[in-house]
Amino acid sequence: MAILVNRETRILIQGITGKQGSRACSEILSYGGNVVGGVTPGKGGQEVSGLPVFNTVGEALTALGAVDVSMVYAPPLIVLEAACEAVNSKVPLVHIFAENVPILDVCRILTLASKAGVRVLGPNSVGAISPGEGKIGSIGGPDPDAVFSRGPVGVISKSGGMCSELGNLITSGGFGQSTVVGVGGDLLIGISFSDLLLEFEKDRQTKCVVAFGEVGGSSEVEAAKLMKEGKFTKPFIVYLAGRFAEKLPKDTALGHAGAIVGLEATMDEKIKILKNAGAVVAENFEDIPGLIKSAI
Amino acid sequence: MKLYEFEGHKIFSKVGIESPFFVVISKVEELEQARRRLKFPIVCKVQVLSGKRGKSGGVKVAMNEKQLKDFVGEFLGKDFNGEEVRFIELCKKVDIEAENYISITYDTVLKSPFLLFCAAGGVDIEEVKKTDPQAIIRYDFDVFAGPVKKELEKLGIPSDFAMRLWDAFSKYDCRLVEVNPFALCRAQGKPPKYVAVDSKIILDDAGVSRHRDLNVLPKGEVGAVPTVRELQAREIDAEDYRGTAGSKFIEFDGDIAVLASGGGASLLVMDSMFAAGGKPANYTEYSGNPPREKVEKLTKIALSREGLRGCLVAGAVANFTDIFETLSGFVDGLVQVKPKPAYPIVIRRGGPRLKEAYEMLSLLSKKEGFDIHLYGPETPISVAAKKMVELSEKFKKSQVKSAKL
Repeated sequence: MAILVNRETRILIQGITGKQGSRACSEILSYGGNVVGGVTPGKGGQEVSGLPVFNTVGEALTALGAVDVSMVYAPPLIVLEAACEAVNSKVPLVHIFAENVPILDVCRILTLASKAGVRVLGPNSVGAISPGEGKIGSIGGPDPDAVFSRGPVGVISKSGGMCSELGNLITSGGFGQSTVVGVGGDLLIGISFSDLLLEFEKDRQTKCVVAFGEVGGSSEVEAAKLMKEGKFTKPFIVYLAGRFAEKLPKDTALGHAGAIVGLEATMDEKIKILKNAGAVVAENFEDIPGLIKSAI
Repeated sequence: MKLYEFEGHKIFSKVGIESPFFVVISKVEELEQARRRLKFPIVCKVQVLSGKRGKSGGVKVAMNEKQLKDFVGEFLGKDFNGEEVRFIELCKKVDIEAENYISITYDTVLKSPFLLFCAAGGVDIEEVKKTDPQAIIRYDFDVFAGPVKKELEKLGIPSDFAMRLWDAFSKYDCRLVEVNPFALCRAQGKPPKYVAVDSKIILDDAGVSRHRDLNVLPKGEVGAVPTVRELQAREIDAEDYRGTAGSKFIEFDGDIAVLASGGGASLLVMDSMFAAGGKPANYTEYSGNPPREKVEKLTKIALSREGLRGCLVAGAVANFTDIFETLSGFVDGLVQVKPKPAYPIVIRRGGPRLKEAYEMLSLLSKKEGFDIHLYGPETPISVAAKKMVELSEKFKKSQVKSAKL
């Protein structure tokens, strides 16, 4: 089962001729994923990894038929245009890899997407992997099997690095993952922690969910709300990072654009809200496998 | 990036929002000339990035020459709530009939912009939120359409001012614009008008490159004045968009240099360091597969601190960051550091080309005599951080010992 991506997922890559785009393409293909083609304006007619390149998303869809996902691998200031092209073509899921996309552009993309019924993963998202099934984005790099394995644990993180770190920790702790998703570290993102919890709730393979939370933002609080409302009922294990930053002045931004000190709930508030909702808050990062064991 | 009040007023003037006439001074010598352009009473305001300026005595009305000179003498170049006062704004006192509050920012759950308006301005809005939440009117609007005149008027929000504020917000890629107070002013014989008596703007760092014409002063991550290392570190990304390195660089009062990787992992690295009783000299982060030169530059900057007793290079298991390339960048930087680091260096990484990278590093430490300790994905970040702190303590003791001899 798994969520977001599986063996059948048909993938288009915008920016496929670029360094990161072509690399992601060959990595997905070698993982057994189904990339059907790519788009780079002005480079229509070329080939990447034996796949056709088109000038526009529209042309690509006419030639290739519908796709499930378009991955946007464009430079930050071009993302608005590229993502809107995919949204306007009604590609059901648009994944945005780029970091440093201006918030205003993101807001426009998300507004347009929500009106069109299109889901957006990111921006600044490493992608998603359903181990043994397939992946979108750059998650797991050239060798996903080194850290990810198939199993019952759903994983959510803003951070790409922490996705594989969690995969590594959970796999070496003896558990596999259903789907691991990097939602992206920006202030505004499409698919949120709570959107994913709703999907994981429906997914039969997923028995519990682990999330890597951060200072700033409200995604953990939103997730707790779902639990309170009874919309998410599986065990939910959360680790919260960035406690050190609470000593810094309000509004200080850290590694992720969305990790802003003093934005929304404080660390202690988050812990309290999560615990109240029935979530398990991991005190140490390494405790996570043990907590999974007692949860399932 | 937070802006000074006067920088905010300059942006407002570009969208037709009026502010009281003002002059900014940065040196005592500039006071004489500024004085000639204003009449008493003159409102004197220190320019700092922290809030609660008024409450801390940073805003005063000078009625005469002496009061003006006293204010400038008291504050200019001095410390104000932990921040150096680089500028003082001197402005014309306006006759205020009513004070209001207005702000625009993004809602991260609804993923859209919204406006807050309160007829009771001039006071701390956080206080109003607690004591009289109903006094604050919230207006959510579409990012494409902007605020709609009719809807604003229905809610009793001054529409012309609100729409100009949205112009500033959207045109200049802001994360927050706030005016408190924006005041209804009545000059004799003229119709009443709204004036931005204060300004608070936070720019979206990702949008700054679209507005090179704005000419705002660089700011520090924590303080208003960036440290030399902060400025140097920020230059790295300004020159090259591939990956990031050093965009966030915060200095701490410690002795272990940190080169973390990844937005999330860097938080874990810092938390682990503090938990183990270590004292980081800085927070910084590189990620997204930056080219080798970027890591080299960042390494040189982080290791330029004096009195270091350790260096921790740590990150999660990378997805697409080439560990060999980035750690080669670290080495390129390391070998240029003078004096040659004798302190322990702990590296904890995982990901593409890790094996090659660690072979290269082992060879280097043997050949060049660096004290490098390598850990892979099987060692948790927190354990590596603990190891770093232990090694650094040992190094400190050996330093003391050799000093005694």
